[in-house]
Amino acid sequence: MQNKNGKMIFLFLLPVLILFITFFIYPLLFVIVTSFSKWNGFTPPEFIALGNYKYLFGDENFRLSLKNNIVWAMVLGFVQVPLACIMAMVLARKPKGWKFLRTVYFLPNVISQVALAMMWTAIYNAQNGVLNALLNLVGLDHLTNNWLGNMDTAFAAVIFQQVFYIGYFMIVILASRLSIPDSYYEAAEIDGASILQQEFHITIPMLKPILITTITLALAYGMRHFESTFLMTGGGPAHVTSVMGIMLYRNMQALRYGEGNAIGATLVIFGGITIGLIRYFLTKNNED
Amino acid sequence: MKRNFLIALLAIMLTVPSFVFAAGQGEAKSPGEVEVRFSTIWVGADTKSGPVKELVDEFNAANAGKIKVIIEENPDPDAYRSKINTMLGSGSAPDVFSMNPDATAFEFYKSDVLMDFTDELKGDWANSFVEGAVSSATIDGRTKSLPFEMGYTPIWYNMDIFNAAGVSEIPATFDEFWDAAEKIKAAGYVPTSQMTGGTNAWTSMLWYCHILNAVGGPNVWEKDFATDPVFVEAAALLNRMYQDGNTTIDAVGGDAGVSGGHFLAGKTAMFINGPWYIGRVQSEAPDVFDATVIGPGPGAKYSNGQVGFPQSNLVAANTNDPAKKEAVLSFLKWMTKPENAARVSQASGAMLAVKTPGVEGNRLQNQFNDAIGEAAFLQTHFQFNFATDVMAEFGQALAKMAAGRATPEEFIAQIASKIR
Repeated sequence: MQNKNGKMIFLFLLPVLILFITFFIYPLLFVIVTSFSKWNGFTPPEFIALGNYKYLFGDENFRLSLKNNIVWAMVLGFVQVPLACIMAMVLARKPKGWKFLRTVYFLPNVISQVALAMMWTAIYNAQNGVLNALLNLVGLDHLTNNWLGNMDTAFAAVIFQQVFYIGYFMIVILASRLSIPDSYYEAAEIDGASILQQEFHITIPMLKPILITTITLALAYGMRHFESTFLMTGGGPAHVTSVMGIMLYRNMQALRYGEGNAIGATLVIFGGITIGLIRYFLTKNNED
Repeated sequence: MKRNFLIALLAIMLTVPSFVFAAGQGEAKSPGEVEVRFSTIWVGADTKSGPVKELVDEFNAANAGKIKVIIEENPDPDAYRSKINTMLGSGSAPDVFSMNPDATAFEFYKSDVLMDFTDELKGDWANSFVEGAVSSATIDGRTKSLPFEMGYTPIWYNMDIFNAAGVSEIPATFDEFWDAAEKIKAAGYVPTSQMTGGTNAWTSMLWYCHILNAVGGPNVWEKDFATDPVFVEAAALLNRMYQDGNTTIDAVGGDAGVSGGHFLAGKTAMFINGPWYIGRVQSEAPDVFDATVIGPGPGAKYSNGQVGFPQSNLVAANTNDPAKKEAVLSFLKWMTKPENAARVSQASGAMLAVKTPGVEGNRLQNQFNDAIGEAAFLQTHFQFNFATDVMAEFGQALAKMAAGRATPEEFIAQIASKIR
């Protein structure tokens, strides 16, 4: 009977397994193999061993892009997710208008990244942007700046606009928070626990599995971040906002597919290590 | 158990056909009709979209039942380029498309993915192109793309701003240029439109080419970019254009919308772009259109040089199907017929690599023609001479130099590090 069940499970998994191997495992292996070659995408690849990796790790801009990706991952994982968690905890208390606020926070997630990036580019514009206009209005004109063109502020400006789009993680955490029985909080309240104590001693421990999942997802988004930076700055000025996705794209445009694939392989390896390490530390206490 | 097995089988049966049948969806065509897919950026707001669509429609009407050309719209040039590169690499390129003829695009000549026109490009068809155009698209004796649009990029001067600043003549030398710039600033305007953003820092890259014309003269691209001091000298002059209010505060990081937008708004006195921009200035900023004069950049050791380059070539995917090849050639001959090219040029203002008899331009188009005709020499731009990743580095290095964090020597070294 167990043997028959195993066959059934295998049959159910088979379609997805075929797709996974065809569209993920095979391309991944292809990327790794061709990363050891000089290849323009249409003539046969020429094996150059670690040539692409030596070039990339000797390139200051590549190292900066790698660092920027790690910063993106950390900010999304440890700033955006906690913000989403706080907001979920507040909304779970069902204050007046909580459903409206839930929709408002989620709204940016259904708007195209392109539209949002264009909007923020306009907000940050040095000459006609809303941000500088506001600063001028309140007498802080000495703080006006070319936010996306200044090498000291561009990276922070691009990250800042992304961090507050907490809607997706907030909805996930809120769903989990609403499944915690009210009786736990009622009992805690009878015992004299304040709201803050209830959140720290009931909500956060109960939400730990979903928090680990959302942090992992946020880290993965950060490691593969591309869209808004590409649209807002193209990795500039002077590469300060560059991420590996942009370097990969530029190499593909220049028909340097071998080098582009080396960036892709590095992204997968570093992403895996970063996420793996953080998951290890987050789940360590559970296993202990 | 049997029921479970049937459910599993049904799941597989439902999954597989959806992928099989998802492919191959297309428009219906008549039996015996050859379909030619024409992927193009000349759609939407592009000034060539109208005449190109008319020509395609007329071609389809004249070849009804035999050939049908289908336009595949791609309004974003950068995304288009990436798409075409990927499709060429995977052997699924559209039948006809266009490419910016530069060092990266010419890489495709090394393979057999492009249709070779060498044997067909003779007689009347070869004679329909302007002199030197076909040779610019020929490598090792093989012509695998057809020159279509030429890019000429002289300087645009807003004479209303010059007059308001008390400057009556366009600057002939750099001394006159800096003098005019000071007066323009004193009058409350900004001397130049610049940009470091976009994929190629277009406006500033063209300023750099004009400066190179002035300090390096003809054949400057034959010099060694990494070591010849002329490139550093030109970089220093370009850097000065970014300092002391000589350009707008959003030029660093700005894209073509920024540099063009300030000129259209009548804020900047000098700007660079090709003839395709004339229609936009005429429609969106008629006052600026009326005030604009086209001319050469300021001279130094050399003067009156202009920047000109093949802007886009028509290309076809190689095919073993004789009927498809014949249909593609027929369509390309139609598009490059002088009277048809003249319609594209007339409607869009674009200057083509195909002879365009009887085209009557507006005031600025005529000034473009005069500026190019009277130029002491014509030289290609930076982008034509280097691969796209080197081109992309230009804007990044320029932003660093403009911010005062790199010297002109370091600017050149940063770009040169990408030349391989």
